This record gives sequence, C-alpha cells and structure tokens, in this order.
Amino acid sequence: MNWLYDSVEPRVMDEDMLKLAVGEQGPRDEAGQLARQEGILFKDVLSLRLDFQNILRIDSLWQFENLRKLQLDNNIIEKIEGLERLVHLVWLDLSFNNIEAIEGLDTLVNLEDLSLFNNRISKIDSLDALVKLQVLSLGNNEISHMMNIIYLRRFKDLRTLSLSGNPIAEEEDYKMFICAYLPDLVYLDFRRIDDHMKELAEIKHQYGIDELKQRENLIQAQLDDERAQREELEEHKAAFVERLNGSFLFDSMYAEDVEGNKLAHLPGVGQLLQAYKDKFVIVCLNIFEYGLKQQEKRKVELDTFNECVQEAIQENREQGKRRIAKFEETHLLSLNAIRDESEVTNLEMKVAEHSKDITELFNMLMTLEMQLVEQLEETINTFERNIMDLVALFIENVQSLMAQCRDLENHHHEKLLEISINTLEKILKGELDEDLPYDVRALFVDKDTIVNAVGTSHDLHLLKIDNREDELVTRTNSWCSHLVDAIHKDEIMRNRRRVKEIHQYVDHVRNELDNLECSEIID
Amino acid sequence: MEVLKEKVEEEEEEAEREEAAVRAERGEKVVRPMEVRREEAPMTQEMLRDLEKKLSDIEMAIPEKLSTFTKDTIDISKLPLSYQSNTLKEEHLLQVADSFSRQYSHLCPDRVPLFLHPLNECEVPKFVSTTIRPTLMPYPELYNWDSCAQFVSDFLSMVPLPDPLKPPSHLYSPTTVLKYQEGNCFDFSTLLCSMLLGAGYDAYCVNGYGSQDMCQMDLTRDVCPLTVKHQEVVQEEEKVPPKKYAIKPPRDLTSKFQQEQETKKQEEIKAEEERRLREEEERLLDVEKAKTDPLHGLRVHSWVLVLSGKREVPESFFIDPFTARSYSTQDDHFLGIESLWNHKNYWVNMQDCWNCCKDLVFDLGDPVRWEYLLLGTEKSHLSLTEEEEDGLNDDDDMENLGKEDEDKSFDMPPSWVEQIEISPEAFETRCPNGKKVIQYKRVKLEKWAPYLNSNGLVCRLTTYEDLECTKTLEIKEWFQNREDMLELKHIDKSTGLNVDYFKPGHPQALRVHSYKSMQPETDRIMEFYDRARVDGLVKREETSKTMTEYYRGRSDFLSYRHVSFGDRVKKLSLNSAESNPRPIVKITERFARNPEQPADEDVAERVFLISEERIQLRYHCRDDHITASKREFLRRSEVNHKGNKIVMTPDMCISFEVEPTEHTKKLLYQYEAMMKLKNEEKLSRHQAWESELEVLEILKLREEEEEEHRLTISIYDTKRNGKSKEYREAMERVMHEEHLRQVEAQLDYLAPFLAQLPPSEKMTRWQAMRVKDECLSDFKQRLIDKANLIQARFEKETQELQKKQQWYQENQVTLTVEDEDLYLSYCSQAMFRIRILEQRLNRHKELAPLKYLALEEKLYKDPRLVEFMKVFV
Repeated sequence: MNWLYDSVEPRVMDEDMLKLAVGEQGPRDEAGQLARQEGILFKDVLSLRLDFQNILRIDSLWQFENLRKLQLDNNIIEKIEGLERLVHLVWLDLSFNNIEAIEGLDTLVNLEDLSLFNNRISKIDSLDALVKLQVLSLGNNEISHMMNIIYLRRFKDLRTLSLSGNPIAEEEDYKMFICAYLPDLVYLDFRRIDDHMKELAEIKHQYGIDELKQRENLIQAQLDDERAQREELEEHKAAFVERLNGSFLFDSMYAEDVEGNKLAHLPGVGQLLQAYKDKFVIVCLNIFEYGLKQQEKRKVELDTFNECVQEAIQENREQGKRRIAKFEETHLLSLNAIRDESEVTNLEMKVAEHSKDITELFNMLMTLEMQLVEQLEETINTFERNIMDLVALFIENVQSLMAQCRDLENHHHEKLLEISINTLEKILKGELDEDLPYDVRALFVDKDTIVNAVGTSHDLHLLKIDNREDELVTRTNSWCSHLVDAIHKDEIMRNRRRVKEIHQYVDHVRNELDNLECSEIID
Repeated sequence: MEVLKEKVEEEEEEAEREEAAVRAERGEKVVRPMEVRREEAPMTQEMLRDLEKKLSDIEMAIPEKLSTFTKDTIDISKLPLSYQSNTLKEEHLLQVADSFSRQYSHLCPDRVPLFLHPLNECEVPKFVSTTIRPTLMPYPELYNWDSCAQFVSDFLSMVPLPDPLKPPSHLYSPTTVLKYQEGNCFDFSTLLCSMLLGAGYDAYCVNGYGSQDMCQMDLTRDVCPLTVKHQEVVQEEEKVPPKKYAIKPPRDLTSKFQQEQETKKQEEIKAEEERRLREEEERLLDVEKAKTDPLHGLRVHSWVLVLSGKREVPESFFIDPFTARSYSTQDDHFLGIESLWNHKNYWVNMQDCWNCCKDLVFDLGDPVRWEYLLLGTEKSHLSLTEEEEDGLNDDDDMENLGKEDEDKSFDMPPSWVEQIEISPEAFETRCPNGKKVIQYKRVKLEKWAPYLNSNGLVCRLTTYEDLECTKTLEIKEWFQNREDMLELKHIDKSTGLNVDYFKPGHPQALRVHSYKSMQPETDRIMEFYDRARVDGLVKREETSKTMTEYYRGRSDFLSYRHVSFGDRVKKLSLNSAESNPRPIVKITERFARNPEQPADEDVAERVFLISEERIQLRYHCRDDHITASKREFLRRSEVNHKGNKIVMTPDMCISFEVEPTEHTKKLLYQYEAMMKLKNEEKLSRHQAWESELEVLEILKLREEEEEEHRLTISIYDTKRNGKSKEYREAMERVMHEEHLRQVEAQLDYLAPFLAQLPPSEKMTRWQAMRVKDECLSDFKQRLIDKANLIQARFEKETQELQKKQQWYQENQVTLTVEDEDLYLSYCSQAMFRIRILEQRLNRHKELAPLKYLALEEKLYKDPRLVEFMKVFV
C-alpha cells in the first residue's frame, strides 16, 4: 500500500505539473499542433490523469471548472481536499492512497463513480451530497462495522459496490447482509448478484429490514409533513396573511402581557376573555380568507398579463424570423450574383442595391421592435394601474377588518376595566370571597395602579395589532412596487437585447458584403 | 295513383265525418266500414280514355329471363309440412284477412286490392305477416341495419316483378329465397325485415309505389356512394375573447373606402362566376335527366320502413332492399304506400299520397291514418277504449261481431317459415357465385367474395369520364387477405399515377406507394409506418435527380434529408458490373430541436455541398431571439502554396454567432467540429446510398409480391387452412383408432362359446364349466398357433438366408460390386428380420403361460360364470 512512502519524496501539485499533464493528455496529431499553437486553458479540460506522481496534497485544481473525470490514484494523498470547485466531476479515482476519512466531497453533486480502493478508511460517511452515485469502490480499506452498509441505503442509484478486503468482508453474513439491505444493488465485489441470492437474503433479514423500513418511512413522513407545512406557510406569506388563520395574533398579544395574564384570574374575566378571543379569531379568519382570495385574484391578473405579453413577444418574434428568412434567401442569391459579376458598373449597382436591401431589413426589424415596445408599454401601464388598484383595495379592506379588531380590543378593555374596578372596590370593602393569587392581589392596591395595569395591557394589545397591520401594508406595497419594477426592467432588458441582436445581425450581413467587395477590388 | 291525388270535395267530407262519428258511437272498432279521406271524385270518361291510351302506349319492358326462379325449379317435396299446409289458426287468420279485404274493397272500391295472402312456393296461401320470421343472425357483422341491408342486397340477385304494376301473386319464404339467392322486391324486403326485427329494430315491410329507377334497381343515374368524397367539416375556430392585456394592434392606416370598393368588386366577380357555374350545372343535369317515366307512380315496389324508438334509431327512415341505401321518409323515390306489415300486424295506409310520402305520418297507433288488421298489438293504443265499444255493438253485422270477438283473443300465428339460416360459407361468399356488378352513374362497381380471386381482389371501382362508360378515368381496386398487406390500388388513368395503399404489416413497413413506373430513379413517393421502422422514416419522395426523406421520432432528431444527385459518371473500367451510384452533389439535413442542448449548439440544418467541398451549418434559434447562429466550413485547401499541409486557418470557418463565446473562436474547437462533420458527411452519404439500395430492394420485393400475390389464411379459418386441416384430420384419425382399439378391448371373449349354448335357458354348472374349459383350450390353441406361426416364419427366413449365402459363396468370384452390395444389404436385412422373429418367439414363449393364467383368472371372476365357480371352488 505505501511501499513508496518512505523511499520517495512527495511532490507538490503545481502549475507546471498540471500543464505537463494537460499537454500530454491533450489532443494528438494535427489537433495537438493546433492546441500547442493556441494553448489549452485549464477550464476547457474535461479529463485529467495524475497517477503515480507521489502527490501528497491535492492542490491547484481550482481552475479546472469543467473537469468531468479526475484520476489521482497511486499517490500518497492523505486527505481529500481542494476539490470543492470541481462541481461537474462525474468520475473521481482516489484509489491506492493513504486516505483515512471520507471528506471534502460535499460539493460534487454530479459524481457518479467514486473509487477509494486501497486506502485506510474505517467509516463510510460524508457522502450525503453525492445523490447520483452509481459506482462506489471501497475495497481494501479498514471498514469493520456492518452498520456502515445501512448508510449506503440513501443512494437510490447505487448499483455497484465493492467492499472486499475489508474486515467486514470476513464476516460470514457479509454477502447476505449487503444483498438484503441494498436490494437495488446489481454488482457486489465485481460479481453480479443473482436473484436467488437476493431472495434468500431478503428472507433471512426480513425482520431487520422491515424495522428499518418502518423507521425510514416514519422519518420520510415527518419530513414530508414539515415540507408541506413550510410550503403552506410560504403560500400564506405570499398572500401577506400568514398566521392569521387561528389565534396566533391573539396569543401573541397576551404572550408578553404580564398584567393581562394576571387580570385573567379575576372572576368573570375568564369568560370575557374567551368570548373576546372567539370574536377576535373570527375577524382574523376573515382577514385570512380575504387575503387568500385577493392573492388568487392577483395571481390570475399576473398570469393573464404574462401570457398576453408572451404571446405578443412570440408573435413579434415570428414576424422577425419570417423577415430574416425571407431576406436570407435573397441575400445568398445576390451575394452569389455579385461574386459572379465581372463588370464594374453592374457590380457597383448590385452592391448598392443589396446594401439598400440590408438597410431596409434593418429598418423593418427596428420598426417591428419599436412597435412592440409601444404596445407593451401600454399594456404594462394598464397592468400597473390594475395591480395598484387591487393592492390598494386589499389594504383598505384589511385595514377596516383590523379596525374591527381594535374595536373588539377597546370593548374588551372597557369591560375589563369595569370588572377590575368592581373587584378593587370589593377588595377594598373586603367583600371578595375568592382567593386571588398573591401577585394579582398586589395589583389591587389603589385605583391608579389597577387602571394603569389594565391600560398597559390594552396598549400592548393595540401595539401588536398595529404592528401586524403595518407589516402587512408595507409588505404588500413593497411586493407591488417590486413587481412593477421587475416588469419594467425585464421589458427594457428585452428591448436592449433585441436591438443588440438586430444590430449584430445587420453588421454581420454588411460585413459579408464588404468582404466580398474588398476581395473583388483586390482581384 | 293519380286518382289518389284528387281533392276530396268538401261536402262529401262533411258527410263522411258525420257518418264516422255515428260509427264511432256504434263502437266499430276493428274495421271502419267506410273510409273518410280516401274518397275521391269519380273518374270521368275522358280521364279513363286518356289513361287507357297512355297505358297502351307503354311498352312493357319485361326482361326476357323473367325468372328461373319459378315454382317448378323448387323442390317442394323437401319442404317441411308448415310450408305445404295451413294450421287451423292460419286458416282462421286467412278468413279474417279475407273479410277484412272484402270490407276494404267495399269501402274503398277505387283502391287496389290489398296484398294480404299471396301463395307461397307450395301454392298455399299464406298471410304476409307470417312469412316474416324474425331472426337474429349469429354473425356480429349483421347486428346493425346497414350491414344487414348490405348483406341482403349483396346476397340476392334481383328479379323484376312479373307485372310491374301489381304485387306478385307469390311470396316465397325467406329460406327458399336464401337458398336460390334470387328474389323480387317483396322477397328482398321480407328477408331484410326478418333480419332487422330479429336484431331488435322496429321494422316493417312496405307495399307501395316507387320510382322507375328504384323498382328496376337502375343505379345508372345515381352517384356511387364510394366516389362521394366526405365533405370536410371545416371547424369554425373558436373566437377567443380578447384577453384583458392583449396588445392593441398597430393602427391601420389604409383607406377604408378603397377596401370597401375592392371587396364589392370582388363579390361581383364571384357572383358572376357562381351564376355561370350554376348554369353549367343545370345544363349538365338536364342532359343527364332521363325521359320521364310514363308509369310514374304506378310501379309497385316493396321496401322496409324502420321506425324510430328501438335500437336508438333517432328518426324513421326507409331502406331500399335492392341497393341497401337508407332514405329519409321524405325522399322523392317513394311515391306512395298501400300497406305495411311486420310479424305481428298489418296496417293499411289511409292517408293521401298526392305528395308522395312526404306528408305521411308514421303513427301506427292512429286508426284514422292507419287501418290495422288485428287488434291487440301495442300500436293500437290510440283506438277507443273497450268499455265504450262493448256496450254499443248491437246492430253490427254478424261477421264483424264475430271477428271482433276473435280479435280480442286473436294474435298473429307464429311464422310458418323455418329458421332462417345462413351458412358461414354462404355468408362469406355473399353474392351469388361470389360476384356482383353494379352500374352507377359513370361508375362501375364490381364485387367478389374473398379468396375467389387468386390475387385477393374483392372490389373494383371503375370511374368513367363519360356517361356511356367508355373512357376510363380511374380504377380503384380493393384487396383482402394479401400476404403483402396490399389493401387498395388506385390507378389514375389520366395522369398514369398508381397509388398502392398497404395495411400495417408489410415487410418493409410500406404504407403508401405512389408511382408512375416501377423503374428506379423515377418520380415516386413512398410512405411508411414510421413506428414499425427502426430509422423512423415517414416518407421518401424521389424524382430523377433528388431524393427527400422525412423522419419522425429519431433519437438524433433528424427530421428531413434531401439528397441531390448529379449526372452519372460513365465508368470506363470494365469491372463495373457492380452498381454505379450517381454522384451526390448536395445533402441537406434538418434536425428537430434537441431540448437537452442549448440552442446555439443544436444544429437545425446541415448542408453538405459535396462538389464544392463546403459544409454549412445553421443552428436553432434561441427562444427569445430572431436570428440563429450559422457556420460555414471550407475544407478545400488542404495544402498551402509551400506544399505544407495546412491544418486549419481562421478563414476556413466563417461563422456568425448570436452570442459570441470565447471557446468557439478557437481553431482547435473549429478543427474538431470540422473533423466531426467530415465523418458525419461520410455517414450521410452512406445513408443516402443505403436509401437508394432500399428503394431498389422494395421495388424488387413489390414486383415479386405482385407476381406471387399469395394470400394469407387465418389460423382460425379451418376450411382454408391446409395445415390445420391436415392436423385436425390426423387428430381425428388417431381418435378413431383409439376408439377402435377400445371397442376391441371390450370384445367379449366368452361370446362365441356362450352362443353355442341353447338360448334363453339358464346355464347349468356343467355348461359353465364346459364354457370355461372350451374358452381356455381355445386360447391355448391360439397361443400355440401363434408360436408355430412365428416359428415357421423364422425357419423360412433362415432357410432363405442360407440359400442366399450358399449362392453367394458359389458365385463370389463373378459378382460385380453392385451385386455384392445388394447381397450384403439383403443379408443385413434378413439377419435383422431373423433376429426380430427370434425375439418375438422368445417373448411369446415367456408370455404365453402368463397370458393363459390371466385368462383363467379372468374367467373365474367373470360375472356370468362366477356363481358356478364358487360352488366349484
């Protein structure tokens, strides 16, 4: 394994070494001649072989952005590193090295074939990012625990696995275990797994697998649930009414409200609070539903708009393409005619004629484009107006609903005040029968204290409601302005691109004509 | 029928109505003695004379071969009894019908007698309704009315009525008609009606008046239904309501007034054109229209009426049984109805037919419009209720009274006709002798039964240019069961274009082949079933200089390839026995968009200008662009002026890129691209060459197929499939032998001995013993005989062999090689025989005692002897 380790000096992966390797492995013969002439950029290299180089440390590979295949076998590498930039890597060979742990592969999501044969790895992990993994070679390592196999269950595409030469391969149950726990595997240790074997293994390990599957399913279900919830919340957020479909706002009002919670212990307040909560939640739900409905409306509006714009652009594009196709036919013909023309006067006339054609094409394309710009501008303005109106209406209605919340709060506040004062009077008179907690009783010292306490609670509640309303309004408005800005920007970008394209094309055509002329004149 | 067209005078009608009311009170139910509407003005002398003259002018064009289908050709002796006599119930029905007919002729003296009980093939009068035998045919093809009608019209050949102005005197049973495959319109409609009723339709036979063309089955003025092209239904595109944000079209700056003027002018021209066309058409029609028929409205015809309601028939319609065509009840060909009937009842039409059948109402429950013969069918629900009538039938004549009473309990007797059966052979052969020719207007249609023609031809439609059918315009031939799956051959004589259509399954997946000649390198179009082909070829068009191929569903997205050929270069070398392919000048290939590649790298069109050594590439257009990248490679200057090989220079590749990128500018990239293209050019050339070869191959195959025209036979076709027949016969033989063996096994070994005993007496013990002993000794004798026989044969063989050997040893020197061979072979055979005989003998010797014991055992246990044996034991 490391027979060279002591005797040979490790080498450093530097620019020269890479250049040499690239040059050697690059194109051959005539193509090689050209390649030498021009030089090869590292980022154009697709495959690189660096075996038997006594490399100790992987380095300087960051330039090979498009590398698909990398061979680093038969070196003395001890740690996987420096591969983070090679995201397109499909094939990675690190066999016959001195690697002790799998690491540094988290960015290589496209990796399909990984060889870590003959290393010193004792645990399979850190491979989670390699979702496309098909071939995994881990033979001649130091993996000793069967549970490492279960880790491999997550790779749905894994078909080939080699683990021979590991301590676990010595175990008598080795093959059966792998066949049972990795049922999609086709080749194990370079041999095809026969169906009979699979069946046997399945029967043997049925209990274990069932249990495992059950656990996996549970986890999966949990994940799904979470995702669904997250998605729902996202949706509500897009409608700006998240968490209004319940008592969340109400609860948040009382979450920091010390006095309010204390006062809830007063006789009669519990019921009052319950009634208040019910009403409040109903209003919240109203807001929520209204918000979703409005969101739907906005979406429909936006979709129609996009569809119409796309249609318009598409049609314009078709027109443009037709024009160009038509022009190209004549263009080829006239170029040929000019080429064949020998008489100078005729030639000049034809050239002039053709250049007129080109100008005409240019004008036509530009007219089309300008026409589209005008049309789109008008449409966009209409849309802008409409969406603004929609948003304004939404905000207005939400505000009126929020006002209802505030009314409820005010009403509740009055009632609470009344009860509190009554209670205070009773306490002062000493007529109170019930026991109140000590800290609640502390509030009932005099009228100011209790009024202050109730007032604080009320203010806090109002603040919460105001905050929620503000948040909604700001977010809605900002969404609207963002949307409109984005549409304008997109349109401008589109226009610029198209104009650039037209110019480029016309320039190219002109160039062709000029080149022809030049060559004619030279001839 | 002119008489019927007369208007009824008002006063008379008034009077009639009163009378009718009175009658209704009297409760007449079954037959109203007087007809209300059917009264008409008396014929004047002039009219009569006129008519007589007219009639005398008419020359009866009764065909010579009137009917081979007369009584004497029918062997009535083999017909069942129900054909030759009437049951009591039928007699009764005939009486009822007679009285009905009498009353009818009394009340409507001017109408022709009813067609009620014509004679059948045995000269027995049978009521028409009982001649209908509703039968559901066991063929799924005959479940719908159109196929039924087509079958009847194909199966029978038409015989005109003996007297075109009268219903026939005989009406044969459908079974007889089917047997002789001939009949008049009444036979046709009776058979068809039986089948339709069996299939669940509400069908009726109609006795009425038809146009000349219809009665004589003259289709020469009809357009053939096969030539009528389906009018393509132009689907009105749904007007999409303009969307909210649809862009406004650019302002139209042209003059509205000028446009209007222009459209006006256009319309005028169009109107003029149309008028001219119409005139032309009318003129043509006039020419085509035959002279009017003097017997118009008098020719008797019979057809089938299908009423709506059952089998989801939405609207009532007529079927002409001769042509199997359906007509609406308003059609001009049907000039009047006398009566109609099904297997349950008989109705007489009481409505005026002055306007053909257009005003008829087919509500058979309406007793004013339709006079029924029998009461009690479901259609008579509109008649007066019975209570009213029962109380009021005092002063009716006796006959009527009696009849009414009967009617209440009287229903139509069951049909006297045997079950209608069509054998599978007859069903397949269809037409008499499997062949039928129908002449339409400018069209001749010939039909054959499948497998009748050795080339599988089943139908030929010849279209002519002129009415006299002399100049052929086009021929369409339909085939069936061809091994090469040829389905239709269309020959257009005017252009010389042949089009063959194939069903799926041709070895080369051919679908359509249109050509003018079978010579290669001429104009032709071949279409293929592209899913059956590996290369996804849909269509290949050829002219003398080009070949265009269209592909679909290829993994390399190739959709089109066009190859232009140059003139063939004359080869001087002598060894040019091989094909000398034409040089390819240009190959154009187009590709569909490959969604996995960016548009800038996905080639849309590739042109190999082989003679100019140029390659042009055009890429696909990006989704948001209007221009596409282009690239042109020149692969000419391989060697520069110094003699060095130039690998690649920038001017060898001219490219226009929508979005220039760095790496495409590199010579290496361009060089690699060019190398790849060079390879692909070679490949394309090879493919073009292969395509040419394939065309040759297909042509050869087609010619072979045309010559051989083998027919396929379904494995389920037990009659024609020779292999399966053989197999089946072999199976049957085996079965038969097996059976024989079993019979033998059951042979009674005691029978000959028991027979010796005096019969009818009980066996005594002594007799039983004797029987047993005899049986055993007989068996012993047989065994010995057998052994002797084998022994004798063995000895004979041995002797012969010895003789031969002696002869051989004597003549050994003089023998030729052949003789020696002969001798040797004889020897080996003889030895073989001897050996076998020896084996047999040994076996026999071994088995004989066992067999003997077995028989003894058996005899002990024999039920006939067992009691005596027991005692003995």
